[in-house]
Amino acid sequence: MKAYNVVGHSVRRLDALEKATGTGTFASDYSLPGMLYAKVLRSPHAHAKIISIDTSQAEKLPGVKAVATYKNTPRVKFNTSATMTFTVPAMEPVLDQYLFDNVVRYVGDEVAAVAATSEKIAAAALELIKVEYELLPAVFDPLKAMEADAPVIHDGCKEGKNIPGDIVKIPYGDVEKGLAESDVVIDETFKLPVQKQVQMETQAAVARVSNDGKITVWSSTQTPHPSRMILAHVFSVPISKVRVLNPPYVGGGFGVRIGLSAKAEPIAVALAMKAKKPVKLVYDRKEDFIASDTRHAGYVSVKLGAKKDGTFHAMDLKGILNAGAYCSFSCETPGVLGAMGLAVYRIPNQHYYGHSVYTNTTPAGAMRGFGNPQAMFAIESAVDMMAEKLGFDPLQLRLKNIMQAGDPWCLPYPCSSSGLAECMEKGAASIGWERRGSLNRPGAKILRGIGVGVGTHVSNAWPFCVDYDNAYITVQQDGSVLLASGVPDIGTGTSTTLPQLAAEALGVNFDQVSLTFGDTETTPFDIGSHASRTLYAAGTAVVAAANDARKQILAYAGEYLEVAPEKLELNDSIIYVTGQDECDARKVHLKDLAYHAHLRNKQFIGVGRIVPENAPPWHAHFAEVEVNTDTGQVKVAKLTAAHDVGRAVNPVIVEGQIEGGVLQGIGYALSEEIKYNEKGKQLNDSIHKYMLLTAEDVPEVDAIIVEANDRSGPFGAKGVGETGLVPTAGAIANAVYNATGIRFKEIPITEEKMYRALHEKA
Amino acid sequence: MDNKILKFSLNGELKEVIVSPSDMLVDVLRDKLNLTGTKKGCGKGECGACTVIMNGEAVNSCLVPAMKAMDAEVETIEGIGSPERLHPLQETFMDLGAIQCGFCTPGMIMSSKALLDKNPNPGKKEVREAISGNICRCTGYVKIEEAVLAASGKYKTKR
Ligand code: FES
Ligand code: FES
Repeated sequence: MKAYNVVGHSVRRLDALEKATGTGTFASDYSLPGMLYAKVLRSPHAHAKIISIDTSQAEKLPGVKAVATYKNTPRVKFNTSATMTFTVPAMEPVLDQYLFDNVVRYVGDEVAAVAATSEKIAAAALELIKVEYELLPAVFDPLKAMEADAPVIHDGCKEGKNIPGDIVKIPYGDVEKGLAESDVVIDETFKLPVQKQVQMETQAAVARVSNDGKITVWSSTQTPHPSRMILAHVFSVPISKVRVLNPPYVGGGFGVRIGLSAKAEPIAVALAMKAKKPVKLVYDRKEDFIASDTRHAGYVSVKLGAKKDGTFHAMDLKGILNAGAYCSFSCETPGVLGAMGLAVYRIPNQHYYGHSVYTNTTPAGAMRGFGNPQAMFAIESAVDMMAEKLGFDPLQLRLKNIMQAGDPWCLPYPCSSSGLAECMEKGAASIGWERRGSLNRPGAKILRGIGVGVGTHVSNAWPFCVDYDNAYITVQQDGSVLLASGVPDIGTGTSTTLPQLAAEALGVNFDQVSLTFGDTETTPFDIGSHASRTLYAAGTAVVAAANDARKQILAYAGEYLEVAPEKLELNDSIIYVTGQDECDARKVHLKDLAYHAHLRNKQFIGVGRIVPENAPPWHAHFAEVEVNTDTGQVKVAKLTAAHDVGRAVNPVIVEGQIEGGVLQGIGYALSEEIKYNEKGKQLNDSIHKYMLLTAEDVPEVDAIIVEANDRSGPFGAKGVGETGLVPTAGAIANAVYNATGIRFKEIPITEEKMYRALHEKA
Repeated sequence: MDNKILKFSLNGELKEVIVSPSDMLVDVLRDKLNLTGTKKGCGKGECGACTVIMNGEAVNSCLVPAMKAMDAEVETIEGIGSPERLHPLQETFMDLGAIQCGFCTPGMIMSSKALLDKNPNPGKKEVREAISGNICRCTGYVKIEEAVLAASGKYKTKR
């Protein structure tokens, strides 16, 4: 393997110093002279029509500068998520919301907003707004919402009652025949909860509208360029007159702000237009819970058929997800659920059918894994059930059936690489798989078990969604390098790893590279931080830009040194003749060459414009759990997460992605859930009530990096951002079964549920 | 309305600032004194992002009425080190990958510092306990715990 100078090294993150010393700024830290503060009035009802709204008292309150309602804001339909900017034709994005409407569709829906000289005054003004509602019937479960007598939440659903967009169908082989030919069929339905991103910085935006009509928004979005497109659409202004930027950091995302930060940006802009002053809107934590996208809850059904010898022969997969009150990513999520669910195992006969259903709950959108964790909890549970029926070791059954590089599959790009078998072998060794089955002494109070779950994912969104990328590399007059990429850094380390790629591909020292990012005005178009794509897709553009710049440098150096450019190399910022010995004088430092060029009216500017391919990352998780039979508490003692990431450009950052995903996966499996009462009000709308894991809940985590280089990714890299969450719940549920003999078809496996199940069993 | 003058020591400097009785310390720090290093993730004492050290104790500054800081000694992330002279925790957080989005970082470091100030050689259990009120949604806490333990080693040598 070629040794790299920067790639593969865990260099210290470039954003670390600012963040560690408290000077790194986020949208919620931002302020401007004369800035006003906004607060939003939200619906207390799950479904209602606004009969009348009177804002006159609020407007009279001293300090109030603007009030916005459906009456005085644009009647332009949009979708807060970036789906409206990247849905691939002939599909059409679902635009189903207004900034404010005269119908509210969930508890927390926006009714009005106020901008005032202080947050306190804005909050006081909300109390003075009089709203009269006519209550409408509401529905909270996706299956019920499809029934004939369910209320219509949005008109124009062409595929069926309350079904947004198109139903996703993925046919592959003949599933009916395949199931009929199978010796054993597992047929089960699994229920998935609402999970919340709970990124630490709530939704935030500061908007300024200049007198000449230009809109600037300092935002917490994880996709500045698409956000800008959405704002231009809502306010009917040219895209070129809108600037969206992160200032420059974002306090986490996990999918919650792919597109707008809920409605923080457009509400701030609408108020700034009215007040003619900058406006800041920061959601409080409760608003963030009730009024920004969640993960999709719902039902996943698996019919898995196998031959007696353990060969999988057919799988019929179905997903019905709860969209909540507005579409957001509810067309794409069931698609990814199906596509990823069908891609893990070699099964000749498959079919997927899936869609979302509107209900009167908080909208569901993107969250880390995007449908894939839902699919893999169900599939990995079913695979374990199959192993038991067939009398197979669950690990061996998987190894027999997993997809291999080069295998045909249902996805529209090749299965170009796979390190899954290696992940499974290394993971099994780490957890001590051979101990499985001999962990419990009879009569033990604490029951132990070991389980496995595997999966794959994407490395960007193409060809499911629009996904292309651009980067500029401008060599400065002293040979230092300015890299421009439109991608943000929401904590995943892009602002370090993209410069690593640039330094390596160009051949300059890492400390010479500086990055401008997450700003629509200083960077070319990029679709944003989602779909585990930033390093893979934005990185591919960066490498292309570096190659372009290097070519220009070597061509110029060729003339300067009077050597053919093909014979030259650029390394450590020095251009020299390939294979040259120490005393060969034919070399030049990039610093001198760049200045030489400058004095002759030339600058090296590399442009990278790419459409990424796609590549599958793979992962195998092994959980060891301890179930307390007195209390029902399930504790994860160890979680091994082996991930084929193609190439770890910065191994410490990769480990961090895996560990963070693992912990969110443990929460998904064991404690995290938003429930609603019978009126549609969230019962878990705060950090404490939601049961987030703390440092005291962390098991031993062994993050193992496997590098099955993919030819399509930069230096062989594939996606990793979401994968830590994908197979975790399945691995834990399987370990719980191994410990107790109780099969949970519903997560989270809370203490209470386990306690009840243990008693029923006894 | 009933505005009062709050006098306290902030990062070793005497401060006087006009506050209203309903102001919380976090808002005074962030909005009146422009020290935005202290973050606000919930405003309800549930996330720890706003942790500062007051008279030697780690506190959630969103739960501290500003006037309670009268005559107190308050330390924030901005006061514990500078790029030239970093606090050992700042160094180990950077070196060991304990920072991702960074929104929890100031609070994490302040909770950890309060621990190390009292107990320069804590075990894993003490570290976990000290940061159990600080939510981090990015890192899974693994590298944060490592960083605090590593800093405790440095603590001994540096002081
Ligand atoms: S902001 Fe103070 S604890 Fe969350
Ligand atoms: S680093 Fe993002 S919350 Fe801790």
